[in-house]
Amino acid sequence: MNPMEILAAHGPRFLHGMGMTLLITGLGAMIAGLFAPWLALWRAQGGIVAQSALRPYISMMRGTPLLAQLFLIYYGSGQFRPELQAIGLWWFFREPLNCAILTFALNSTAYQTEILRGGIMGVPRGEIEASRAIGMSRGTLLRRVVFPHAYRIAWPALGNEIILLMKASALASVVTVYDVMGVARQVYQKTFDFSALLWAAVIYLLITATFVTLWRQSERWLSPHVLAMEKRGRR
Amino acid sequence: MTDQPVLLAEGIQKSFGDLHVLKGIDLTARKGDVISILGSSGSGKSTFLRCLNFLETPDAGRVVVHGEEIVLRNGRPASMAQVEKLRRHLGMVFQQFNLWSHRTVLENVMEGPVQVLKKPRAEAREKARALLERVGLTQRADVYPAQLSGGQQQRVAIARALAMEPDAILFDEPTSALDPELVGEVLKVMQGLAAEGRTMIVVTHEMGFARNVSTEVVFMHKGQICEQGAPERMFTAPATEAFARFIADTR
Amino acid sequence: MERLLAFGDAGWGDEILSGTLLTLQLAAVTLPVGMVLGFLSAFLSLSDSRLLRALGWGYSTAMRGMPELLTLFIVYYGGGLLLNAGLNRISAGASFEISPFLAGVVALGLVFGAYAGEVLRGAFQSLSPGQAEAGLAIGMTRRQIFWRIRLPQLWRFALPGLGNLWVNLLKDTSLVSVITLGELMRMSQVAVRTTKEPFFFFLVACAIYWVMCVLSEVILARMEMRANRGIIRARA
Repeated sequence: MNPMEILAAHGPRFLHGMGMTLLITGLGAMIAGLFAPWLALWRAQGGIVAQSALRPYISMMRGTPLLAQLFLIYYGSGQFRPELQAIGLWWFFREPLNCAILTFALNSTAYQTEILRGGIMGVPRGEIEASRAIGMSRGTLLRRVVFPHAYRIAWPALGNEIILLMKASALASVVTVYDVMGVARQVYQKTFDFSALLWAAVIYLLITATFVTLWRQSERWLSPHVLAMEKRGRR
Repeated sequence: MTDQPVLLAEGIQKSFGDLHVLKGIDLTARKGDVISILGSSGSGKSTFLRCLNFLETPDAGRVVVHGEEIVLRNGRPASMAQVEKLRRHLGMVFQQFNLWSHRTVLENVMEGPVQVLKKPRAEAREKARALLERVGLTQRADVYPAQLSGGQQQRVAIARALAMEPDAILFDEPTSALDPELVGEVLKVMQGLAAEGRTMIVVTHEMGFARNVSTEVVFMHKGQICEQGAPERMFTAPATEAFARFIADTR
Repeated sequence: MERLLAFGDAGWGDEILSGTLLTLQLAAVTLPVGMVLGFLSAFLSLSDSRLLRALGWGYSTAMRGMPELLTLFIVYYGGGLLLNAGLNRISAGASFEISPFLAGVVALGLVFGAYAGEVLRGAFQSLSPGQAEAGLAIGMTRRQIFWRIRLPQLWRFALPGLGNLWVNLLKDTSLVSVITLGELMRMSQVAVRTTKEPFFFFLVACAIYWVMCVLSEVILARMEMRANRGIIRARA
């Protein structure tokens, strides 16, 4: 075992892997972040039709392993190659990276929807009524009152979800994506040097630590009044 | 033996950080004494009571219960076993009742005899039922504390303390957390105990109880005993200005 | 489709079933390991000693900041290394590999323990101090107070969190397929390799996991109701 030698020989590879991990996590989280607020609104306020369509989706995404979801999409799509080729989508499903990002986005959408739903339900009724009372339109109400409030409530949980997604993104290595985990496995198989895995651990911990710090900072920036209240509440 | 006090406290001192809460308190309780400790909030009376059974450890002073003195070493009791033994001889009734929420009323009363005194379950159960009858709660033996009113909970808490057959019972503002209409039922039970000749030390705001039931009143002020004596004398002719003001304010 | 799931040589029903049982077995064996580690971690982080608190923090932070898959690899390969280094001291040349099952139990147990430690720590801090004081006041020992008061009351606060962790554990067992343990995920892959029916078999696997998770949630809801008996006041 020689950690320094491994780093010297494979450092750039690890760096590349780190970029890949950040890319799949970031894309997955952001795509999910685009859909989640609308689905959450649906979950919180929508009718029976919307509810009965969303609930099985969320339940299945949360009740099955991400690895199984990834295999279903990546290997499962291979079974429908002719059909996918016919509608011109095969190029997308052929790439493990695309399948991984799609899976992570689908999965994270379910989790983020539930988190944001909690946030929306946490918006005080009085504030909504007050906004209606001054004649706000529904769009303005959502943009100026409901979502800002909901995001403030949900922000810490959303941060946790992104960390969980970042960790889960290591599964992409199983379908030959060379993220940090993928690079570590590749280097380990080549050199049988255990420190390859330890370097991967260091990188993941660094990413987590950096992200947690940044996210906390953003929380402060997002809700100064809540912080002020909490400080007072804590004796 | 009869001369020996049930409880003796000498020079009890306690600080929390810079705050000197108790500045040397003495108290002697003989068998059958009912001592009411009065004082405005912040006078240190609850802290003093908690020092008697070492829920707070005094910084200095002596506590002798059942003829045994708790030895302090480096600001801590030298032997936790000794403290546990002392606590068996001193019952305590809390302001917030503190009944164990996960156990039924009957189980709450049985817990001490079975677990601490190692009595057989059957015997403990019989005794617990008898005690619940005393406090008028036979019907509610098998419900959980949350299903009882505050007054009922406090009566169960008294039964729980009695089940240990203590030499003396400490009451820490037993009626302060109760709705006004529930105070009476708890005071009635306490009055019954006093009539039986139980030794009781009661931190309270109930002037009526202090005056009519107790054998001695202690008035604490700013961490010290300010005035002390027979209730009748204290209430008719307060010797200190502080106590005179205190009874005038609470009236 | 029924043919694919037939039992015996013709189909894959028995393989899938044995995989499912191994998944359940792995989760069931890991749970107590994780719970013990969780309590240890909670005690560390609630300890008076700064050193022990730092130790608890380090364990919990590392486990929660690293992918479960990486933890599994580190335990699987690192555990083998460590064991061989130890064995070589006793008899040179001895070689030993830890089994995928054992690596799974240790790795998933470590992960479960780190999260459970957080849940339990929060639950301990939610307990009302008056409940323990009432125990002290009648002369209970610290040990009695832990076993008879704090622990029974702990579940009410800890069960929802622990329930989530159990569901996560069930799902995370699928990772152990990557180091070739023949659990549900692995068995599905084996079936796919022969039949070339990936969509079908992975869908079946998903359905089985989903049933296990939903059943767990139903049972957990019952347990929570039981843990809340005696407390009729609505949660704030």
